[in-house]
Amino acid sequence: MMNTMSSALSGWGLWIALAGACLGTYFCRAIGVLLSNSINQDSEIFRWLAAVTYAMVAALTIRLIVMPLGLMATVPLWIRILICALALGVMVSKSSKRLVPALLTGTLLMVGYGVIR
Amino acid sequence: MSSTEQPYIDPSEIALEESTVQRFKSPNDAFWTGIRDAAGAPAMVLFAGMVGFGAMGKTNGFDVWFTTFTSFFMFALPGQVVLLEMAITGSSVIAIALAVTLTSTRFITMTVTLFPQFHQKDRNRSLYASVHLLAMTAWAISMREFHAIETRHRLAYFVGLGLLCWLISIPGTILGFYLAGLVPPAVTLGLVFINPLFFLLTFTEVKPWINRIALMLGCIFGPIFFLVDRDTSLLTSGLVAGTLAYFIDRQFLRKKAGVIG
Repeated sequence: MMNTMSSALSGWGLWIALAGACLGTYFCRAIGVLLSNSINQDSEIFRWLAAVTYAMVAALTIRLIVMPLGLMATVPLWIRILICALALGVMVSKSSKRLVPALLTGTLLMVGYGVIR
Repeated sequence: MSSTEQPYIDPSEIALEESTVQRFKSPNDAFWTGIRDAAGAPAMVLFAGMVGFGAMGKTNGFDVWFTTFTSFFMFALPGQVVLLEMAITGSSVIAIALAVTLTSTRFITMTVTLFPQFHQKDRNRSLYASVHLLAMTAWAISMREFHAIETRHRLAYFVGLGLLCWLISIPGTILGFYLAGLVPPAVTLGLVFINPLFFLLTFTEVKPWINRIALMLGCIFGPIFFLVDRDTSLLTSGLVAGTLAYFIDRQFLRKKAGVIG
């Protein structure tokens, strides 16, 4: 973990990054208010933006699971994938309202692995 | 989260509706009902996500102020996790701001679908303050409930809903941060795992094919671009995979190919 931290942003750079992230996030909320009078939610730009957002969140998620940094990297890859598969199994086992049980399954399995290893 | 009936990020499929039902006596009544509606499974999932985020901040060596400020001022978990991840890998400030802003573009679509449903007298500059309370949880519940709430009380309901979600995210983050230092490593492991797992699970609820393709391509391009250049990988994989999905949808999937509105 020390290795990853040595290359990390630190000091003012970190806070400037936070400020940029906050401004960017608020900008998107504000521009939504501005546009909410005039724009069609089905327009091409929104379809594209939604696709980019999904792709980015997917890339983030898969990286957090497959190539994590820090503590999660101490768990073998196959354990991480197995737990994800089991949680997904719970999620799709019934057509609705399975998010909480699935999230609990995955989290508790991860804790369970941590206990027995 | 009540997103079981709602797509996760793309609200474009939901029709705007009018309501004539008399449900609340006063804005005050609507506000407190909003708070009550938020306090349940949706808020618990959000709270768990914020606890997980706090734990991520702690285990990656950030201080409690930075981690908590992130929840307070951003209040957007995917963007917050992007910020943490990119800061850890040492990405440039510009790349971080751009990537976070792009993940937040979903708020544009959320606002554009939700805010026209407020009463005309509420649609003034104060919305620029209330919009900070908008996030996935409050949006999904509002979209579900608004058709049964008279227009003049919708803003109060939304503010109650959003305010509770926002306010619980602060203690959630702080709790996660300090728990990660106190509890056995096994529990910390579980906490850090909450957010990636949560994002993964919500993918199964995505319905439009364009977004499903974007998800699949993102899963493929994400690791590849990470190996090529980790600093900009989220940005590039999002843009490349998303744009590719958009064109696949546009060229092959749309029923009326070539007819673009």
